[in-house]
Amino acid sequence: MTTIKGEPQVKQEPIDTAYLDNVLEQNMQDPENLIMILQDISAKYNYLPREALNYVVERLNVPMSLIYSAATFYKAFSLTPRGKYIINVCLGTACHVRGAGKIKESLEERLNIHEGETTEDLKFTLETVRCLGCCALGPVITVNEKAYGGLDRGKALKVIEQYEREA
Amino acid sequence: MITFKLNGKEVQGKEGEYVLQVAGRYGVEIPTLCYHKALGPAGMCRLCTVEVFDGRKTDFVTACNYPIREGMEVNTETDAVHEGRKLIVELLLARCPNVPMVKKLAAGYGIKKPRFKKKDDDCILCGLCVRICERMGNSAIGLTGRGVDMKVDTPFHIQTDLCMACGACASVCPTGHIKLEDITKHAVQPIPSEYDMGLIGRKPIYIPYPQAVPKAPAIDRTYCMHFKTGECKICTAFCSAEAIDHSQEDETVELNVGSIILAPGFEPYDPSGDDTYQHSRFPNVVTSMEFERILSASGPYEAHLVRPSDEKEPKKIAWVQCVGSRNINRCDKSYCSAVCCMYAIKGAVIAKEHSSLPLDTAIFFMDMRTYGKDFEKYYNRAKDEIGVRFIRSRIHTIEPVGDTGDLKLVYVTEGGEIKQEVFDMVVLSIGLMPPADAKDLAERLDIELDRHNFASTKCLSPIETSKPGIYVCGAFQGPKDIPGTVMEASAAANTAMGLLAPARSSLVQKKEYPAEKEILGEEPRIGVFVCH
Amino acid sequence: MSKLQSQKDYENFRDRLKKKRDPERLLVSLCAGSGCGASGTEEVREALEQEVSKNGLKGKVEVKVTGCHGFCEQGPIMVIYPDGIFYPKVKPEDVPEIVSETIVSRQVIKRLLYKDPVSKKRISKEEDVPFYNQQHRIVFGNNGFIDPANIDDYIAVDGYFALVKVLFSMSPEEVISAIKESGLRGRGGGGFPTGIKWETCRKAHGDIRYAMCNADEGDPGAYMDRSLLEGNPHSVLEGMIIGAYAIGSNQGFVYVRNEYPLAVKNLGIGIKQAEEYGLLGKNILGSGFDFTVKISRGGGAFVCGESTALMRSLEGKVGRPTAKYIHTVDKGYRDSPSTLNNVETWANVPVIINKGAEWYASLGTERSKGTKVFSLVGKVRNTGLVEVPMGTPLRTIIYDIGGGIPKKKKFKAVQTGGPSGGCIPEDFLDLPVDYERLAEVGSIMGSGGMIVMDQDTCMVDLARYFVDFLKNESCGQCTPCREGITQMSEILADICEGNGKEGDIKLLEELAVMIKRFSLCGLGKTAPNPVLTTILYFRDEYETHIKDKKCPAGVCKALFHYEIDEELCNGCRLCALKCPQKAITGEKKKSHHIDQDKCIKCGICYNACKFDAIIIH
Repeated sequence: MTTIKGEPQVKQEPIDTAYLDNVLEQNMQDPENLIMILQDISAKYNYLPREALNYVVERLNVPMSLIYSAATFYKAFSLTPRGKYIINVCLGTACHVRGAGKIKESLEERLNIHEGETTEDLKFTLETVRCLGCCALGPVITVNEKAYGGLDRGKALKVIEQYEREA
Repeated sequence: MITFKLNGKEVQGKEGEYVLQVAGRYGVEIPTLCYHKALGPAGMCRLCTVEVFDGRKTDFVTACNYPIREGMEVNTETDAVHEGRKLIVELLLARCPNVPMVKKLAAGYGIKKPRFKKKDDDCILCGLCVRICERMGNSAIGLTGRGVDMKVDTPFHIQTDLCMACGACASVCPTGHIKLEDITKHAVQPIPSEYDMGLIGRKPIYIPYPQAVPKAPAIDRTYCMHFKTGECKICTAFCSAEAIDHSQEDETVELNVGSIILAPGFEPYDPSGDDTYQHSRFPNVVTSMEFERILSASGPYEAHLVRPSDEKEPKKIAWVQCVGSRNINRCDKSYCSAVCCMYAIKGAVIAKEHSSLPLDTAIFFMDMRTYGKDFEKYYNRAKDEIGVRFIRSRIHTIEPVGDTGDLKLVYVTEGGEIKQEVFDMVVLSIGLMPPADAKDLAERLDIELDRHNFASTKCLSPIETSKPGIYVCGAFQGPKDIPGTVMEASAAANTAMGLLAPARSSLVQKKEYPAEKEILGEEPRIGVFVCH
Repeated sequence: MSKLQSQKDYENFRDRLKKKRDPERLLVSLCAGSGCGASGTEEVREALEQEVSKNGLKGKVEVKVTGCHGFCEQGPIMVIYPDGIFYPKVKPEDVPEIVSETIVSRQVIKRLLYKDPVSKKRISKEEDVPFYNQQHRIVFGNNGFIDPANIDDYIAVDGYFALVKVLFSMSPEEVISAIKESGLRGRGGGGFPTGIKWETCRKAHGDIRYAMCNADEGDPGAYMDRSLLEGNPHSVLEGMIIGAYAIGSNQGFVYVRNEYPLAVKNLGIGIKQAEEYGLLGKNILGSGFDFTVKISRGGGAFVCGESTALMRSLEGKVGRPTAKYIHTVDKGYRDSPSTLNNVETWANVPVIINKGAEWYASLGTERSKGTKVFSLVGKVRNTGLVEVPMGTPLRTIIYDIGGGIPKKKKFKAVQTGGPSGGCIPEDFLDLPVDYERLAEVGSIMGSGGMIVMDQDTCMVDLARYFVDFLKNESCGQCTPCREGITQMSEILADICEGNGKEGDIKLLEELAVMIKRFSLCGLGKTAPNPVLTTILYFRDEYETHIKDKKCPAGVCKALFHYEIDEELCNGCRLCALKCPQKAITGEKKKSHHIDQDKCIKCGICYNACKFDAIIIH
C-alpha cells in the first residue's frame, strides 16, 4: 500500500464547536449513533470536514479509522466539499429502463463533471442514487431534497438551468 | 462434547468450537487465507467453505466460523467445494497476478493463467492486518470504501501517528502488501537485540541469550503491546501450555545471610559520544563487542564476516586500541582495561581465519599489554606468523570516504610522519567500566570504592572489601579477564565459607522417616516413582 | 392532550373523533406522497387553500393532505368526498374551476377526469378506475383518508384498536399463535414465517429483546415501504408495538433510509404523537407494558437491508454483514435476541389482529397468505403501487391493473425481486404470484418490485445493469462477491461492447454458481440471479450479442445503429429538429437520412418518430 507522506495541505474549515456539541448532545454522545452524527455534520457543511471528525474522535473516544471507514463506506458522506446543489440521478431499475443513464450522461456533459464530482464554482455536485422510491415517475432526479420526475434529456437540462440562474 | 462426522469419520469437539478448529485437531487440512488462531473468525476469503448436511439439507458454509453441531455431517473435499475454491483462487490470481504467494496457491490448484481480466494489485483483502491492529488496541488502519473500492487504508490516506509501529499488521500480511513505513509517522525500527549489540532486532517475547538461565522466554514490558494498550495478548492463544501470565509482577525477596559476595561485573565503554571515532555516525565503525557478534556463529550474520553498511566482505580492518581506557582527556579513565590488547589480537587472528578473501588487519596501539603468562607469545605469533600489522600510534580522526562506506584513518608514525590509510571497517577496542549502579550499591552496603568506582580492596587481599563479610570478585574489583575472575570467585567463596564455618549445620533439621513395617505375606506391589 | 390511560379512555376518545366526522362532509383528499409531491402537490395545495378562503368555504371544506394513494403516475391526485370524484394530474390553474364546479356545485368537470388508456373512457370515481378496482387494499387502503401528521385521523379509522385488543385481551403467546395461524410471511424478501420468527425470539435466551423495523428499502424499483411510512406511519408503529408485546421487547428501532426525508419526518411526528397519547412509552394505555421506538437513519448502503449489516449499522459501525450461522433472533443487535421485520410486514399485523387470523388466511394461496403490495413500474401504462391478494396472476397485475404496455410495444419480461430477483418472460404471464411460484421460475418475491420491460429493453444490458449495481453495493469483504461480481461485470461489459467471446456464457454461469454457493451474505448469494434468469430465458439475445455483434433492442451502443426507413418516412422533420447532434438531414416531405458519424445513438429521434420510420439496425 502507499499513503501520502507527511501532512498534506487541506482546506482548513473553521468548525462550529457549539453546533457539534449540540449534535453530540442530541445523539447522547453515544458512539452507536455515529452514522447519525455524521449525517448531522454533513447536513451543516455539505461534507465531513476533517476538523469536525477530529472533534468527534475526541469527544466520542472512537478511533478515527472507524469513522473514516464509515465515512467512506456509506454513500451519504463525502470527505470533500460538495456543491450548493446536490443533484442525485436515480439509477433505480424503473428509471434505468426508462433511460436514466442517458440523463446522467447529459448532465455530466452539461456540468462538465463526472458522477461524484463537484463543479469548480462549488455550485453543483452530481451523484447517483440506487433508488429514490419515485419509481412511477421515472426517470427521476432530485436537487437537494426536491424531486423532479418524468424527465427526458431536455427536461432534465431545464431543471438544471433553473438552478444555474439562481445565485 | 459434540459429536459429528467429518469426511465420514466421527469426531468430537467442545461446545462453541468451529469446524476449522476441530478439523485442525484431527489433521484435516482446510485451506484459508483470512483465519488467524488468535483473532475471531471473519469468513472473508471463503476459501474454507465446506459442505454441511444437517439432516435435512446440504449447505455451503465456511469452516472458520461455522459452530459445530451434534450429528451434522461435514465434507471438506467434495467436487463442488474444490471447484468453488479453485475459482476463488483464480479470481485472486486475476486480482494479484504478480504476488508469489497467490501464484503458488494457484499453481497448487493447477491454474496457470486466470481466464479473467488481470489487475495489478498486491492485496487480497484478507483483512488480517486490520483485525490484528484492532486487537492491538490501536485501530490505526481500517477497511475503507466498499465493494470494488474497498481497501486497507489509514484515515485520509496519510501516515498516522496513531500507529505505534508495532508491526503486527506487516507480520500477518500474507502478500507483502503492508509496509509499516506507509502507515506510521513514527520511525520504523526493530527492537534492538541487546545480546547482538543492536546489530539486529528481536521480538518483545525473547530468550535474552542462548545460554540464559533459566532458558525461558521473557516478555519485555517496554515493547509488549499489552502493556501499552491493555489489549493484544495474542501470545496466550499460541502457548499451548497456558504458561503466559501478563499479571505477573517483579518480586523482591528478602534473605538473611551471613556473608555477601559482590560479582556485578562491568559495563563496556560506550564510544557513541566520542566525536573522534564517529561510532554512531558510520555503520562500519563497530565496537569490539559488536565485532564479537559479527564473528559469532549465532550472531547476526551467522559467522559470515561482513560489514554492517552493505554486508560486503571487508578486505581491510583496523583496530583502534584504548578506546575508553588510559584516557583522561576525553573520558577520565586513567586505568588500563587489561583485556583489550589480547581480545584485539584474537579478533584479528580469527577474522583472518574466517575471511574467504585475503584480509589485511592492522592494530593501532599505544602499548601492547599482554597480561598473563605466555600471552606475549600469542602476540608475537600474530605479528610474525599470521601477519597482523601492529602500528604504534594514537588515532585522532576517522573520516568517511565519500559514500563508499570505507573509512580513512589519519595517524602519525613513531617517526613523526603523517600517514593515512583507508579501511573497509574499523573496530574500536572499548574498555571496561564499573557498573553504572556501583555507587548506589556501595552506598547501601557501606563499602568503599576507588576513584574510578571499582570496589576498593587491599593489594594482598583483593577479594575483601572495606566491610568485613562482604567480598568482591571479577571486574567489579578492577578490569580483568575470565581466568582471573574465576580464580577470584573461588577465593571469595572460600573466604566466605571460612567465615561461616562455625554456623555450619546449625539449622539442619533431621528428616523423620515413617516406621518400617512387616509386609511378609502381603500381595507384592510395584511402585513407580517419578523424580522431579 | 392528556395521556390515554385505559381501554375505556381510548374507546371514548375514538368514538368522540368518529362522531365529529360527518361522512357527508366535504373533504378534499390531496395526495402528497413523494411521487405526487414531485409532480407539484404543494403548488396545488396552495392554490386550493387560497381558493377555498376566497370563496368563503373555510370551515366548510376540509382539505386533507395525505400520503400516497398509489397511482403515482397520475399525480398530483385529488379525490373529492363525499362523492369520491377522482381528478388525476391536477394543476394549480385547474383549482378555481374545481372549487366552483365540483366543491360548490358538486358537478363533475369532465375534462379533468381520468381517461382509461385501454377503454378510452372518462371515469369519475376513484373506485371505478381499473387501476384501483381490481386491487384489494387492506394495508394500503387507508392512506387516502389519513393525514400522516395527525394521529387522530388514524384513530378515527379504528387505528390502535388492534393494540388495545392485544394489550387487554390477549397473552403474548396468543398473539404469536394468531400471527402463525394467519400465515403471514416476511414481506422484505425472505418470506420467512413471521409468527415463527417471533416465537423463536421470545424463547431465545437474553434479558433484553429488540423489535426492529427494516425501512432500508433498498431494491431499486420498489417503494411501497416508503409510501407506507410516509402515508400511514401509525400502522407500522402499531404493528411494532404489538410485535414487541408478543416477543417481550421494550425497545424498538426503525432503520430508515436517509434518502426518504418525508418518511423520517412523518415517522418522527408519529412517534411523538403516539407518545403524547400514551400509546408508546411507559405503561402503554395503563396496561403496564412499556415500549419505546427510536429512529435510526441509514447512511446509504444497499447491503444494510441485510439483517446483520443493518444491526452493525445500528451499532454505529460499518454495515458489513456477518455470518448468519447464529440467527439474529437469538443474537442480533448488541448480541441480544432481535426481531427484524420490514415495514409492510409490521403494517399487516394490526389488520390480522383486527380482522382475525382466519380471515387473513383466507386471502392468498396455500402457502402465501394475505395481500402483497407491488410497485408496478417500468414500461407499463399505469405505474404505481398495487396491492393484490397473493396468487394474483402476473397478467392481471400488468394488463388489467397496469393497463398493459404503452406505445403499442411488445411485452418482453417482468423483473421481480430487485437486484436479487429474476426476469420472467412472456411464457409465464399467467403465473400466480406467490413466494413458491416465483422461486420456481428462478425469481423471488423480494420486497415487491415489479419492473415491466418491453421490446426496447436489452436483457444483456439489464443483467449488466444489475451486476454493476451490485458491484457498487457489495460491501467488499468476501472474495466471491467482490471479485466474482467485478469479473461478471467485466464479461458483460465486453459482451455489450461487442467484445464478447465464445465461452463467455459458460464462464458467467460458472461464476454464478460459485458466487451463489460461496458468498457470505444474502446479497452475494442472490447476486447472480438476474444473470442466470436472463441467460435461461433470453440466451439467444446473449448469443446474438456475442456471435452476430448485434443488440436487437437497440440499447448497447456499440452494437446497433439507427436507420430511417425510406418507405415509412414522410419527411415531417420532427426527428431532424429534435436531434441534438444535427445528424439528421433531409428535405421537407422527403425521406430523411442519418449521418452515422455524427449520431450519438441517444434515441431521441427513435422515440420522437410517430411513424415508426426509425429502425434499429
